[in-house]
Amino acid sequence: MASAKRKRVDNHIEASSPRKKHHDASNELHVHTPSRRARGQPGAENGTPRSILKKTNGIQATTPRTNRTLLFETPSKPGRDATPNDSPTVVRNADRSARRKSNRRLLQQAINGADSDQEALDDDETLAQHILDADGEEGQHEPDGAQETVPLPETPSKRGRGRPKGSGKGGKLRKQPSPPPSELPAHEEYFWQNRPGGTKTSNNTLSSHSLLNHDEYFQAMQSYHDRHGPEMEFLLELHQRAYDQWVFELEEGFNICLYGYGSKLPITERFTAHLYKYLSARAPYKRSKKTPKIAVVDGYVPGTSIKEILITIASTIVPPNTKMPNQPASLLTYLLDFLSENPPAHPIPVIINSVDSPWLRRSPTPSMLASLAAHPSINMVCTADTPNFPLLWDVGLRAQYQFLFHDATTFAPYEAEIDVVETVNELLGRSGRRIGGRDGVGFVLRSLPENARSLFRIIVTEQLALLLMDNDTAAFNDDDHITATPRNKKVAQTRHGISESTQGVEYRVLYNKAVEEFVCSSEVGFRTLLKEFHDHQMIVNRNDAMGTERLWIPFLQEELEGLAEDLSGDIF
Amino acid sequence: MEHQRCYIYSPTEPEERARKRQRTSKPHFQAQLPERLQTFRDMWSHQEERIQETLEDADSSTQEAIANFVSASSQDTEDLSLAIPTALIILGPSIASHGPFFERLGRRIKHDTNNIYVVLTSGESPNLKTLLKNLIKKVTSRVDDDDDDDEMRRPLATSRNGPKLLDFDLGHLQEWQKRNRAQNIVLAIQDSNAFDASVLIELVDLLHSWLDRLPFVLLVGIATSAENLEDRLAGKTLRYLQGQKFDVTQPDEIIEKLFSATVARPDARLRIGPNISQRILKRQRDHVQNVQDFVDALKYAYMSHFYANQMSIFLKDGISFEDLSSDDVEVARTLPSFRSRVEQLLDESRVQEVRKLLDDDYHTFRVLTEAIASGQNALSSLNAAATILSRVRQALQMSPEVMCSTIWTRAAAGEIIGSPFLRETMLLVRRVPSDKFAQLLNALEHSEGDFVIDPRPYKQELEQLLEQNPDSTPLRTQHDVRNDSVRTTVVAQKVLLSKHKAALSKQDKAYSELVGRFHDEMECFFSSAFINPQTLLLSEVLIYDLKSPHTEVFQPKPRYAIERALALPHDYLGCDCCSGVAGKGEGSALSGTQPASAILYQMYLESGALINVSDLWSAFHAIAGEGEEEEDGESKTMQRGLAELKYLGLVKPSRKKTDHIAKTMWKGL
Repeated sequence: MASAKRKRVDNHIEASSPRKKHHDASNELHVHTPSRRARGQPGAENGTPRSILKKTNGIQATTPRTNRTLLFETPSKPGRDATPNDSPTVVRNADRSARRKSNRRLLQQAINGADSDQEALDDDETLAQHILDADGEEGQHEPDGAQETVPLPETPSKRGRGRPKGSGKGGKLRKQPSPPPSELPAHEEYFWQNRPGGTKTSNNTLSSHSLLNHDEYFQAMQSYHDRHGPEMEFLLELHQRAYDQWVFELEEGFNICLYGYGSKLPITERFTAHLYKYLSARAPYKRSKKTPKIAVVDGYVPGTSIKEILITIASTIVPPNTKMPNQPASLLTYLLDFLSENPPAHPIPVIINSVDSPWLRRSPTPSMLASLAAHPSINMVCTADTPNFPLLWDVGLRAQYQFLFHDATTFAPYEAEIDVVETVNELLGRSGRRIGGRDGVGFVLRSLPENARSLFRIIVTEQLALLLMDNDTAAFNDDDHITATPRNKKVAQTRHGISESTQGVEYRVLYNKAVEEFVCSSEVGFRTLLKEFHDHQMIVNRNDAMGTERLWIPFLQEELEGLAEDLSGDIF
Repeated sequence: MEHQRCYIYSPTEPEERARKRQRTSKPHFQAQLPERLQTFRDMWSHQEERIQETLEDADSSTQEAIANFVSASSQDTEDLSLAIPTALIILGPSIASHGPFFERLGRRIKHDTNNIYVVLTSGESPNLKTLLKNLIKKVTSRVDDDDDDDEMRRPLATSRNGPKLLDFDLGHLQEWQKRNRAQNIVLAIQDSNAFDASVLIELVDLLHSWLDRLPFVLLVGIATSAENLEDRLAGKTLRYLQGQKFDVTQPDEIIEKLFSATVARPDARLRIGPNISQRILKRQRDHVQNVQDFVDALKYAYMSHFYANQMSIFLKDGISFEDLSSDDVEVARTLPSFRSRVEQLLDESRVQEVRKLLDDDYHTFRVLTEAIASGQNALSSLNAAATILSRVRQALQMSPEVMCSTIWTRAAAGEIIGSPFLRETMLLVRRVPSDKFAQLLNALEHSEGDFVIDPRPYKQELEQLLEQNPDSTPLRTQHDVRNDSVRTTVVAQKVLLSKHKAALSKQDKAYSELVGRFHDEMECFFSSAFINPQTLLLSEVLIYDLKSPHTEVFQPKPRYAIERALALPHDYLGCDCCSGVAGKGEGSALSGTQPASAILYQMYLESGALINVSDLWSAFHAIAGEGEEEEDGESKTMQRGLAELKYLGLVKPSRKKTDHIAKTMWKGL
């Protein structure tokens, strides 16, 4: 659309003065192409031809390298980064002097419109672009620039259209001014934030020690003191002031949904206590032994089901020893009918923590909860953690829920909701740490018969052998330690390649080995042994590209070596 | 991680409770909360009655028609059992109102005749088998109330009549029908659009084959159009149906009706202000289209007013001075409208009065209660004026058609008086021909006593005039354009245009005079009624027009809240440590003292679609580890932050590269 418009503009100003032309064109740019926006901005209003010069200055001012924040600058090894992408100094100097010119050239082209004859510009433009790119690259001290940048050609030789390989992604990013343009319309902002480029990341990997395991985490946790403790307490205090209001809202038949960053457990806990106290002071409980019953559901606990929720709610009102339907759906209708026929003295409060947890998200649950919430004898207080939770409910459900939403940002850590160590391991694909690393494996193996231990030893050695073989074929830097420091990225990359396709031991091979070593005599026995490993998640099944089944122990190499040592040393 | 998922709350330590009690028992600003809430409940119960009435009114005619259709179909089933009688109910796109509609309809149908009414939704009918199971369960459970183990009991019941019936066999229904002799089995398909077309087709085929034994009637709720349904069904299936179409009042019309029944009601004691009513209406139009939601919004406005505004006690019916607490009058004196009243009195140098207002509590109380009464009068005449204005426009068929609610909100905002909108209407009134004038008077006559001008004398006079009128052409006033003609004269090569009134007949003259009087009286009424409500004394009490809790409560921005908490934690925490560095730019606000998740999130914002955790790690260390040296603490917070980002759904694992995670959400979209 942009180019079409621009064309039209060009056509109709043909006759008018160059001043006008420039002005219009820059405006067009300003509106339609976000990437070039910043360029058009400085001095776009005074559209004199002179202002082109000003613009050139403007570009130099906004060349992104100055604004690049230090955040993602990878720790560069001194003395290393200069070597690989050394273009000859002469060329570099030439680049510097040519930069201004190239800038102007590019700008000119942008102003004249993209539809103008590209072929004519082709050569020089590539060069100009290239100079700019190379320049930006140097400014950024990318340590891995070695692989990504193609060295400058000595002479500007004839080349195909478009920019040279390798400068593509990075180059585009560099053209972006890094302070984000403010007040874009939503769709433009989406494209701005999703712009191509910026995907170039280093190949560094975490060393295995940087992640804490459960014990370490727990230890660190106990000694940790949050510096924002008082402020969080203050936030809680603020929310506490609203409790009476919430009670009033519940009484008026609304349900409440709390959202915002931070665990809302402390709030619901305190609110439940408040509600309990409030209800105990009320008519049916005052001066009687009875206590109000508040159903609390912890939706974040894995496996929470609608049935449990319904049973818990039913237990507050339905007399015990009543036979209730088994199916959740009929249980729900039963409960609702019961509530309508024997309305309780006050609506039953139901507190649901994390109503948007994965276990309460699936299809029938939200609608069942909604019809529960719609009943006048149920008061529901929910908390929702994810940012997009309203998408769970369509208009109909939302109307049934009758939610009033309150921002309950607490900044409290999600202590109960998240298993931190587990989540991070899963996030990084290191699920092998699940059973507690080497020690955990040892623990399991010790409880298994001799045969199982030998089988596991076989797998470990086989996998190690495979890894070493792969490293040899990679034949670049045969360190025993494949801790991929930035120094040997290539190794890391190859290793990475392995992990995708050919990692692990082939099932058949393993079986044969096992039979050879008299670990088992039949495939059934073999399977039984493996099952134990599967159950403890010590081993992972996967099919490679060819469809052959492979078994793989989800550990890093160092850990495998340690395991092999332990196994052969007969520690277990 | 052994944790109970659902449990009944039991209080933990008693001493904690004692501490809490102490906290809540300290003096409260909510002095007369119970009284105010009582006032609210009184007032709201009136409103609720009105709402119920309006709702029942709104679709009673349609429901009547459908109920008639159902009972009529039962009479002629004997002679033609060729096709299933089917009511196609066009419900419109607001799915939220479908459920309540069918519920009301069901009540009606069950009430009218000996019918069985069953609603089926798409959610419980993924295939024919489940649909039938549900149908049978719903129909038969009317008689034997809880049949929980249907697998166990049903076969026993039927086994003596031959082979066991499967639990989705309509034979059960037949059995049941033999015993109960229902006139009709009314099957309402609530959301036909969401049904699988094949399920619908199979259902119709099956019902048709049973039609000779079971008297089915189908009600099909349609959100789009009957044609759409027709397209989805096969031609053969269509022949089994004998349809009739019913249109249901669309929610926006109902909302309009509700609006005039609640907000723009002549005797409302608390008015909803223009801003908030505009918000509610806009939300209805643009997003929800749901009657219940409108009612909720209105209720919440009432609730907020009485809960949070101490002055709302003045709205209590028959309030006496003793009802007030000591500082109520004092608080009233701080209200802006009170102050401006005092200033106005001072300008008129009525110092005595001011002194009395400030010193004498009882006197002030009297003034204030009078202000409430007069304010309510002023508001209801404003309300009447807005209603009349919209009636006039309707009667004169003026374009553009403006909804009554729109006029009302503009009037309540004090924008109508002197607006071109009003002027245009009045001009049209002035030159209205007699046929339309009669309509206008009729329309005004039908509006109940909220109009101070009595249209009847005008009507009588008009009738007399019309009797004397010799021909059938309507009478015209002198302002009518058709009575104008433009005369052109050329004098010394200049063209002179002069307007010229055609000679009016005697009747026309009399008519002009009549309309003129009417116009003047009306204008007078409008100019006295259309005031700016904000200028009324105690307008803060009479009108609730606060945007603040209302918007957040009904239109929350959870994503924005989380993004803000993470990007600018200082906004929430208000701590000293994190604010110092905060500059204008986004990146510069980053500091090591912020919560780990916030630091991570801000770095996350700057990265591309893939993030290298190792680099993130070192960047995090560079920022968070400025002061302290302990490695573990940082790792821990970092790890926790990362887990939180995952929990919030901001990142997901990526298989593209080792130790990389993928970004899934972008800020502010």
